[in-house]
This record gives sequence, C-alpha cells and structure tokens, in this order.
Amino acid sequence: MRFAAERREFFQVLCQCPQHMQAAHYARRSWPAWMPRLAFAPARRGVRGDVLVVVFLRGAADGLNMVVPHGEPTYYTNRPTLAIPRPDDHKAPGTSRAVDLEGFFGLHPAMAPLLPAWQEGHLAVVHACGAPDDSRSHFKAMELMERGLADLGGPATGWINRHLATLDTGNTSPLRAIGFGEAAPRSLRGVIPVSALRSIAEFHLGGEPEIAGMLKGCLAGLYSGDDLLAGIGRETLRILETVEQLDPQGYRPESGQPAYAASDFGAALRQVAMLVRAEVGLEVAAIDLGGWDTHFAQGASDGLMAGLLADLAGGLSALHADLAGSLSRLTVVVMTEFGRRVQENASLGTDHGHGSLMLLMGGNVEGGKVHGSWPGLSQGQLFGPGDLAVTTDYREVLAEVCRKRLNNPAADQIFPGFTPGRAGFVR
Amino acid sequence: MDRRQFLRLAGSVAAGAGVAACSPLYRQLSGLPDPAQAWPSLSLSDFRGLSRLTYGPLPAERTQVLQIGLAAWIEEQLSPAGIQDEGVEWRLRPLDALRLGAGSLSSWEAEDVILQLQQGALLRQVYSRRQLLERMVEFWTDHFNITVRKGDGWFLKPTDDRQVIRAHALGDFGELLWASAHSPAMLVYLDNQANLKEAPNENYARELLELHTLGVEGGYTQQDVMELARCFTGWTVKRHFWAGQFRFDDDLHDPGGKHPLGLQIRPEGQREAERVLQHLAQHPATALRLARKLVRRFVTEQEDQSAVALAERAVHALRKTNGSIAGMLRVVLLDGLTGARPIWGPKLKRPVDVVASALRLLRAETDGGEALQQALQAMGQPPFQWPTPDGPPDDSQFWSTNLLPRWNFAIGLARNEMKGTRLDLPALLGPLAPPDPQAALDSLGELLLGAPLELAQRDLLLAALGEGAGQDPAGLPSLVTAGLLASPAYQWH
Repeated sequence: MRFAAERREFFQVLCQCPQHMQAAHYARRSWPAWMPRLAFAPARRGVRGDVLVVVFLRGAADGLNMVVPHGEPTYYTNRPTLAIPRPDDHKAPGTSRAVDLEGFFGLHPAMAPLLPAWQEGHLAVVHACGAPDDSRSHFKAMELMERGLADLGGPATGWINRHLATLDTGNTSPLRAIGFGEAAPRSLRGVIPVSALRSIAEFHLGGEPEIAGMLKGCLAGLYSGDDLLAGIGRETLRILETVEQLDPQGYRPESGQPAYAASDFGAALRQVAMLVRAEVGLEVAAIDLGGWDTHFAQGASDGLMAGLLADLAGGLSALHADLAGSLSRLTVVVMTEFGRRVQENASLGTDHGHGSLMLLMGGNVEGGKVHGSWPGLSQGQLFGPGDLAVTTDYREVLAEVCRKRLNNPAADQIFPGFTPGRAGFVR
Repeated sequence: MDRRQFLRLAGSVAAGAGVAACSPLYRQLSGLPDPAQAWPSLSLSDFRGLSRLTYGPLPAERTQVLQIGLAAWIEEQLSPAGIQDEGVEWRLRPLDALRLGAGSLSSWEAEDVILQLQQGALLRQVYSRRQLLERMVEFWTDHFNITVRKGDGWFLKPTDDRQVIRAHALGDFGELLWASAHSPAMLVYLDNQANLKEAPNENYARELLELHTLGVEGGYTQQDVMELARCFTGWTVKRHFWAGQFRFDDDLHDPGGKHPLGLQIRPEGQREAERVLQHLAQHPATALRLARKLVRRFVTEQEDQSAVALAERAVHALRKTNGSIAGMLRVVLLDGLTGARPIWGPKLKRPVDVVASALRLLRAETDGGEALQQALQAMGQPPFQWPTPDGPPDDSQFWSTNLLPRWNFAIGLARNEMKGTRLDLPALLGPLAPPDPQAALDSLGELLLGAPLELAQRDLLLAALGEGAGQDPAGLPSLVTAGLLASPAYQWH
C-alpha cells in the first residue's frame, strides 16, 4: 500500500469508481420503485411560454373577505362582525372599507396595494371559483386540486409536473421548476425533476471552499447511479453550480426600492424575480402561503386574515413593480383548496365552506375584471350547509393558462377527465 | 460512588455541563456507551429491522439481537417499563419545561419552552434505551399533531407530550384518544375552545374523524361532522386561575339531542362526546386506519397484498387485545420484520431519522440544542412545528427533495462544527484509526450503513485512503464520515 498521494485523490477515486460497482452495492439494499413512472405520450415539442408562478393559499382562504361582494346585502347580514364595510359606508373609518373595483365587488383594504395592477389591467379575479369536491377536508381537497383531479383514482403526479412532462421546451435547466419551501408541493411532483429550496442565497455547501469542492466531487461520484435519490442528488449538484453563478445577495429590484417584505413569501417572490431576470431557465415556481384556516378570530379589516392579505398583496404588488419590464412573459395564479362558510361562527371566524376565488396577475390576463358568474348568497343560492356555490371549476382557468400562456394544449393529460369549456381569463 | 459524589455529578449534569462532561463516570451515568466499544455485524435483515425500530442501533442493541434474536428484542421493547433508562433522565434534568405544567410555563419565554421541548425529544431519541417507545412517541406525535406555533400551543404542548402522547404511546388506544380529546393543547390547536352552542366550530370534530380515527374514506358525512361538533360544544380550557386546564362549560354546551354517525346521543353534557369517543376508538375503520399507518411507518410503504394482509391481522390483534397498542404493534413488527419472510420495504429516512441516527450511531455527545434544531428545520422537519393537523408525512417520496440540507448536516457534524455537539471519531475508531484506513473505512461502513462497502469499491478507496492518511491523518476520519453520512445509502433505512 502506498501512502503518498493527496487526500484530494482519495475523493476523486471515491467519485470515479465504476457505476456498476455502486449499483451492485445499492442493489443489495433493494431500491424502491415507488417513483411514479407513468406512460405519457411523448412530450410535444413547443416554445417556452410565460414563467408561471403558482401561489397556493393553504388552509382554505376566505374569498368573500378578499374580494368582497359589497353589493350583496346578505353578505352583511351573515357577517355581523367579520364583514368588510362598503366602500361608501361613511360610518366606518376610511381605511377599514372595501376598495371598490367595479360597483359590486371590492378589495379587502389590506389588498389595496394591488390596485395599480388592477387599474393597469394586469390583475383579474375569478370569483365563486373552486373544485367540484365537497369533502371540506383540507387534505383531500388539496390533494385533488394539486393533482388536478376530480377523484383520487387518477394519476399520482401533480398537474404542474404533468404540464412539464407533456411539453418539451428543450430547457434542461435544473431550475426549470422550483418549489419554495422545504419540500416540493404535490402539484410539482412527478416524472420531471423539480427542485425545492428555501433560499437561493443560502444554497451552498458548507465547509471551506477547498473542503466543499472536494466533497462536491465526492458527492458527484456517490450520486452517479440511476436510482431515484441519485437523480435528486445530481439535480442538487447542478443547482449548486447554477446558483454559484448568480449573486443573490447583490440582487436589487428593478424599481430600485426594496419593496419586498421580509416575510418568507416576500423573499420567495424576490427570488422568483431574480431568477426571471437572470434568465436561468425558470418556467414554473410554486409558493405556499399558509395560515388561512381561520376558524377562530379571523378579524375583519384588521386582524389575523388582514395580516395574511397584506403579506399576499404586498408581495404580489412588489413583484408586479419589479418585473414591470417582463410582465408580458409572466403569469401569476393565486389559488386555495376551498372557501369558507358565508355565515360567520361564534368564534369570530368562519368554518370550512365551498367556493372561493382565484387571482390572476400578468401582462396577458384579462385584467381589471371579476370573472365568473356570481351565484348569490341568499337562501336557495347557497351550497351545502351555507356555502358559496362554485360556478367556475378551477381547472377552466388553469387549462386556459396552460394552453394560451404556456403553449401546452395537452389539457386532457394535465387535467384528465376534464373538458375545458368556458374561457376568456387570459389572452 | 457515594452520595456526595453522586449529587455533585448530578449538579454538573443539571448545570448543562453536557458536552464538556465526557468523563467515563458521566458516560456511565448518562447511558452513553464508550465510543471505542466495538459493534458486531448483523445480518442485513436484522440491521434493517433494528434501524427501523431504533434511531440507529448501538453496539449493545446489536449484540443483544445477535444473542436473543430480533423477535425477542422486540418483545422486550414492547414493555418499556422493564427497561432501565436512568441515563436519559439525567440528560433531561436541565430541561424544566418537560416537567412543569401549563400554568408555570405560560410565564416563560415561548422560545425557551419550545427549544426545551425539542431538545427533550431529540435527547430521548438519541440516548433512551426504550427505543421502540420513542419511535411510537414519534408516531403518535405525528398522528395527533399539534404545532407550538399556534396560539397558546407553546405552553400547552409540553403537558400534552407528557400526559397524552408519552403516557399512552404503548398503552390503550381508547385511553390515548380520550386523553387527546381532553387535552387543552389539542382543543386550542383545533379551535374547540371556540366551539359554542350558538354556532358550533367544526374544526376539532372534523379532524377527529378524518385524521385521528375513521379517516377521510371512513364513511362519515358533513352532517356527522356538524352533529359531532355540537357534542363537543363547551369543551374548553380554563383561563386565569388554573390556566391551561381542561374544562367543560355547560353554559356553552348545546343542550339538544344529537345524531352523529348513526348514534342517538341524549343530552348529558360532557358525557355526550365521550360516548362518541368510545364509539370511534372501537370502530373498525379506526383500527384499519391505525394498522395501515403502523405498517407504513415500520414495515413498508408498498400497499401490496402482503402489506394489506398484515394490516388486517393487526386490526384483528387490536380487537383481540381490547385496544392494546402494543398488541397491535407486536403483530405488525413480528410478522412484518422478523421470521422467514419479512415484508420489509425501504424507506427514505425522514429528517429526524437522519439527525438522530447520525448522533446515535456515531455516539455523539450532544445537548440536542439549537444547531441541531436548525438542521432539522432546514431539512423540513422542525419538531412540534408541523402547521397542519395531518402531521409531517410518512412518505419517502415527499422527503425526496433537494439534498443540500442533509449534506450540510453531514459536513457540519463530521467536522465538529455544530455548537453543542461533539463527535470523538478517533475514540470511535479506537485502535483502528488512523494508521489502518482499511479497517476504519470498513468499520464506518458497517456502523453507518449496516455493511462495509463492496470489496472492489473499497479497494479503490483504500489506495487513496492510505495515501491520504500520510497528508492529514487527523482530518481524514471526519471527511470519510461526512462522505458516508451524505451518501445515498445512508439516506435509507
């Protein structure tokens, strides 16, 4: 045995050992075969469309207090303490009133930062929107919605991943699809590798540069097999390389002002903007915003939900300003698993309901408009135990976004069993 | 050791001397084996089983399994009261939050309570000899998930952890469910303190059916949820004096008759919901849901015929033993992991497994403190902070994500860069390291992965290892350890 070479070489040897030997070693550990490998029609080649940003409001957001039907008297009788005052209610302080959009609906005052986007035609609302499922279970509803299905029998992959899998844009970037958070959301799961990361600025290997470099080489060898984790390991290494070429600390928003809030949501949107402008191949970003399960002390113009809305609206308006020059290739979708009961409960909150809403933001949305037919809030118009009815299936909106903004016509594979009908949400 | 020595030592442990106090006496007291103790090799199936049932098998556990077999070891672990475990209690002594009630803790700083709760969980996972009990504590903590980040949860959860989860983890499921329903932490987390007769709040009632008992396909309706919520009106938590204690408030309770789940519930106050709890605890859909979850957690994620059959046998065992969790678990573990045809299937380690098993296998001295909690957070599983009532998923695919946080934990730990945690690799490798890199590499592979590297691969490594040892003998073991902890093989168990 020789005792002379450099330590570095040890790792190079470790890394370069032939794949078949590693495979033999790991084969003994019987690698799992649960990774979904669905047989898709060969992906259609297509031109990359917009960058899609999907914001999922987890916990069932109360659409009725986001875009308030202030022209609906029963809204006020059902919500004696939680209602947002009418825009012309002079008994209420000005800052507590809904911000009128078009005479019947108004924005929650905490969403006022989105007014410029609305006025420029870059923001649209789809009201009374949701899924056909009426289990009122967060987990089942999210599962179905993120898989884009009407029942749990369909494909196990997420709808966003199926979009990526059915459209070959020739994009091999490791940052093609990103979920912000510790784990990729269900909608991103599937055959196309996606990345979940918390923060681009923190995305580097520990240790001194020399050690990190050595270990990186070592990891490249360890993750050179063909199992599930090896693929993920290689993606992680590729992201490390891509991110090393960015300068996340030095990023300044276009408007010149640090308008993004310091919240996780603000930070995620700031990084989306950075990736869009760095042109590193981002096609889809999924961001979760939690805390919307407001059974208790939801608040009205102020309070718990107002704080969440301020985070949401502040982040989106900052993104709108920051990417003003790139809006023609940006589509943002805000969605939630279901809405909340029309009548408030005795805990100054609202229980699980049915219909909620979606928001669309971007240069090519049919903005400045509340889409969808309004089912009304009176007796006889409500669904189930007193919930807003769903008049627009959320898949109508997403299917049109996929077709027109992402150049992917494979709606039958992205939303199996669903035939898109009405449209007109985006151009 | 006389009493005076004993007390002095206890004082130094209590003062949080922790990492510094590595004297052999301390090790003896605190249950930490000598790092130089050798680890016998096990058959692959025993190593797999033991890795699933412990947070990394220590030499003593390996030896014991070699001597008495995995089945007998499981039997012993199913009766944790018979296993002496003073060592871990010594380590927990500085953590007052684990012993105090909600009333006292409510005057603490929230972050102090939360950190102690997290430290307690990790220290028990790493150092307790009642490993299967700790595995089941983890299982029920997920099943009856509560986040300390909502409302008063931060000062209520320590009591729930002690009196609900830990007290019943291997006990009677009916009693566990009963305790959870009466737990202020749970009632506050799922808004039942706001469930009033004028307008019921459905949150707790719904999750009780969907997550704690029947399951979403368990055959109940929205009407059942609403009727059950009415049964739970008035189940609340005391304020001011006796803050954080359970209280049934008849004034808030809906006095009418109720019909949840086909039951006729006559008006009798607190007893109404308790009748439904008994019904739910004994319901076949509940048993099947629990059995499936246990099979998934301990045996395999594949839902094939043998897994389904195993779950059905576990359902039968739960019924035969009148709701004994240990009775049901015994069948799952013995039939699933031991015998001629175990149906074990691989699982990706969840973050808590990655961290706890590295600490345990490498016999780290740790306080379980902030550095490790931050690593868990970065990997996506900060203890007691999963926001939604479904608990952190038991799903390898869910955790198959960006590996950077796992790699950085491997590097930080192996290089002794995590505050409050120390590895003693030279002692661990004992007389093997560093002059004999071949033995060291084999040994670490056996220790961390259950088997040494393949011969050919090992030989390739050895050439370089031997050579590298000449350059920096002291740094080599830590780099080898980092590489092994960051390897794909270590991510599975």
